[in-house]
Amino acid sequence: MSASNNQKEVSFKILELKGISRRKFIKYCAATAAVFGLDYYFGSHFAEATTAVIGKKPVIWIQGQGCTGCSCSLLSSINPGPAEILLDLVSMRFNSTIMNAAGHLSAEVLADTVEQEGYLLVVEGSIPTGDPRYCFVEGIGFDELLAKTAKNAAAVIAAGSCSAYGGIPRAGFTGAKGVAELVTDKPVINIPGCPFKPDWLVGTLMYYLNFNELPPLDELKRPRAYFGNHFIHDTCPRVAYFEKGQFLTDWNNPDTVNWCLLKMGCKGPVTHSDCNRIWFNDGANSCIRSGSPCAGCVEPQFYKDLSPLYVSPLAPDGPQLDPVSNQTGGIDPGSAALGAGIVAAPFLVSKVAELLNKKKEGEAKHGE
Amino acid sequence: MANKIVIDPVTRIEGHLKVEAEIANGIVSDARLVGTMFRGMEQLVVGKDPRDVPYVVERVCGVCAGVHGWASCMALEEAHGATVPEMGRVLRNLMMGALWLHDHILHFYHLAALDYIDPTAVLAYTGSVPELVAVKDKIKSLADAGDLHPVLPSYKPDDFCVRDPELVTQLVYHYLQALEIQAKGRKASAIFAGKQPHHSTMVVGGVTSFPTLGQVEQFRRILNEVIAFARHTYIPDAVLLATGPLAPLEKASVGATAGHYLSYGGYPLDQSGGKLLFPSGVIFNNNFSEVQSFDPAAIREEVDYSWYKDEARPGHPSERVTDVNLDKTKGYSFVKAPRYQGKPMEVGPLARMLVMQPAPFMELMETLQVTRPGAVMRHAARAVDTLVMADAVQDWVSELIALIGETGVYGSGGNAAIHDTAHWEPPFEGIGQGLNEAPRGALGHWITISDKKVKRYQMVVPTTWNASPQDEAGQKGPIEEALIGAPVADPENPINILRIIRSFDPCLACAIHLIHPKGSSVISLNPLC
Repeated sequence: MSASNNQKEVSFKILELKGISRRKFIKYCAATAAVFGLDYYFGSHFAEATTAVIGKKPVIWIQGQGCTGCSCSLLSSINPGPAEILLDLVSMRFNSTIMNAAGHLSAEVLADTVEQEGYLLVVEGSIPTGDPRYCFVEGIGFDELLAKTAKNAAAVIAAGSCSAYGGIPRAGFTGAKGVAELVTDKPVINIPGCPFKPDWLVGTLMYYLNFNELPPLDELKRPRAYFGNHFIHDTCPRVAYFEKGQFLTDWNNPDTVNWCLLKMGCKGPVTHSDCNRIWFNDGANSCIRSGSPCAGCVEPQFYKDLSPLYVSPLAPDGPQLDPVSNQTGGIDPGSAALGAGIVAAPFLVSKVAELLNKKKEGEAKHGE
Repeated sequence: MANKIVIDPVTRIEGHLKVEAEIANGIVSDARLVGTMFRGMEQLVVGKDPRDVPYVVERVCGVCAGVHGWASCMALEEAHGATVPEMGRVLRNLMMGALWLHDHILHFYHLAALDYIDPTAVLAYTGSVPELVAVKDKIKSLADAGDLHPVLPSYKPDDFCVRDPELVTQLVYHYLQALEIQAKGRKASAIFAGKQPHHSTMVVGGVTSFPTLGQVEQFRRILNEVIAFARHTYIPDAVLLATGPLAPLEKASVGATAGHYLSYGGYPLDQSGGKLLFPSGVIFNNNFSEVQSFDPAAIREEVDYSWYKDEARPGHPSERVTDVNLDKTKGYSFVKAPRYQGKPMEVGPLARMLVMQPAPFMELMETLQVTRPGAVMRHAARAVDTLVMADAVQDWVSELIALIGETGVYGSGGNAAIHDTAHWEPPFEGIGQGLNEAPRGALGHWITISDKKVKRYQMVVPTTWNASPQDEAGQKGPIEEALIGAPVADPENPINILRIIRSFDPCLACAIHLIHPKGSSVISLNPLC
């Protein structure tokens, strides 16, 4: 048996000990390959690259204005589990949440890795551009740390909506920005989400490790496989109720639990992701599945330009009214009564109007 | 001669923290904790639809994900006049209870344990237990490849580090198992919460989803796996370390505070909210036999050593608005200094267990003859805290199943309720306070609603209590106090400082929220967490 085979065996052995069979792991890899539109046989190829012990890709993971939720989301991955990700998939040189070292020891590891070049830089959290004192790491502003670590990176992954587009901090006063606004001379991949779904990051990593290039991205630098191809609304299990004009307005009513969430403020019509097809936490659940309107957390407009989150973009009597024909007619009186200013985001209202018009046209055609 | 050392960043905690310590004659003679990141979570919800707030401030922290959304819902429910229906209450307890188990396991193994073991001892394992042999093989293959990140590098193991190959290999095996178990704890929570981190189902007035029986069964199955790990692996490991190799650390009271403890109480067991799983209470001067009742009005915040403008002294968090001053020479942290009856209070599992006094914990205190609990006791308390929660979550599953039967959830004629829909619309005016226990301790949110919008929002979180700086009277914050006197024989190897800090499980993203720059170094800020 060759040395590399030996190492592969050891690697699988540890997977098996934790209840993950080699077959199950290859199956996961195959599923990831399929998402990217690759042949099924790439699954075992992925698995091989993923479990190669020697020459693992070094990763530096830095955090700016974040909540550590994206690090935790990665650690919430179940298949592959966090142990495989941390020990088999990559060489995690710097990640302040899990690394053993601290202080000068961790700073040295960081400096050494930067010097070696060719690592992947993962950024969690936004970058305050208003004043560097909003986020200091090792005595320097986070913007400076980002510039320093991006300089020798092979590619930069903006993990989570804060680092992709500024996210929630962008709604505040620190001048919070996303990575791609500041790093312009390196390939940047955005994996938005609040937090990102672990499959999105792990799948992207696997693609990159295999082909040594970025996966196909949409115009917002997100992997097309996960974000580019679908509106939440189009793949929604509740879309038939939208078509029928049946909207949930009371979470207690057992007869309406599966109805469309648009009147609760759902951002599905303006949000791109595969959340309806592949749920969170190892397939446990998803926002829409659990009766919560989509907040649009993967979009650049999140949160500032999608707020309010729970206000209907529809007219009072449902879909028969056309929001386009009358600007104020498109606003639910419930929300209009909310005092000045709290109405659904215009961005959402116009997109819903477009959907309703298309639906009307479709119905008219069908009637002919 | 005093030696000043700086550890920046402090890793294996949540968020950004720097510690500065002076070492004289091998012990810490002075210490300062410096929080270094701000976002402005409280400010950015002002003017928004109040119902957005739980979603947004939930994102203050993704480690203890859930607790801020919950405390926020509680504050809003008071302001809206909403009452969470019984099934909503039980579902909230379940989704947060599962997270509690996840959180403590993650903290013990992944954030703290590496401080107490020499991971390279695995290479000397000579036994034949198949799991442990596999761990050794794995670590060896990584070591041979010269790449043991993120397990190495580490500070030089000291005399308190466990080096016994058998024990270390077992602990490293548990570390790997726990990685998967904590992910399963998150998964269990997500079954009712929608997703984790950052649940989506908890909204003002209740929750958004009835459970199916399939989900209840799935939850129970995964939960049982997590609980079995907690009972048979985590708790024995914590007790083994506390009573075995780390007993000398505890005997020396390394990491003890001034001995003031506070619990707000949390996890309602009935609809009145009067009966809580974790009782509220206050202890002063390590006087464990006298648990006093807690009065929320006795909380004050001070800013003498924080980067805020000095102002009329000291105020209740629900009333104060403060201006930040980055150039304040006396200031050294963005964390404020909350005090209770003028005292710096430790919050978290140790405070909770000392107030609650469950038998297993008090027996452990007795066995180790603890009078001034320190870092090791904090880990032991967290383990017992886990045990308390594990029992409760199992009870709540039974309660949920009974409620499903009684209320006829799945039929049109049923009267099941998970949400107070009548109070969903925000009121024109309202104020509310949400006090709860998070895994890291006492957590409070305060809201003022005006014209159906958020007028003001405040949070005081566990790490604000624990990581607070000095106050006007010169009293240090609990972690600073705990650091003073810690043995640091070699300033190049300040492992005891990190042990003490991590024993509090600090969460700095929680502790610091931003503020408004206004183009200069002076920014206007809410009283901080």
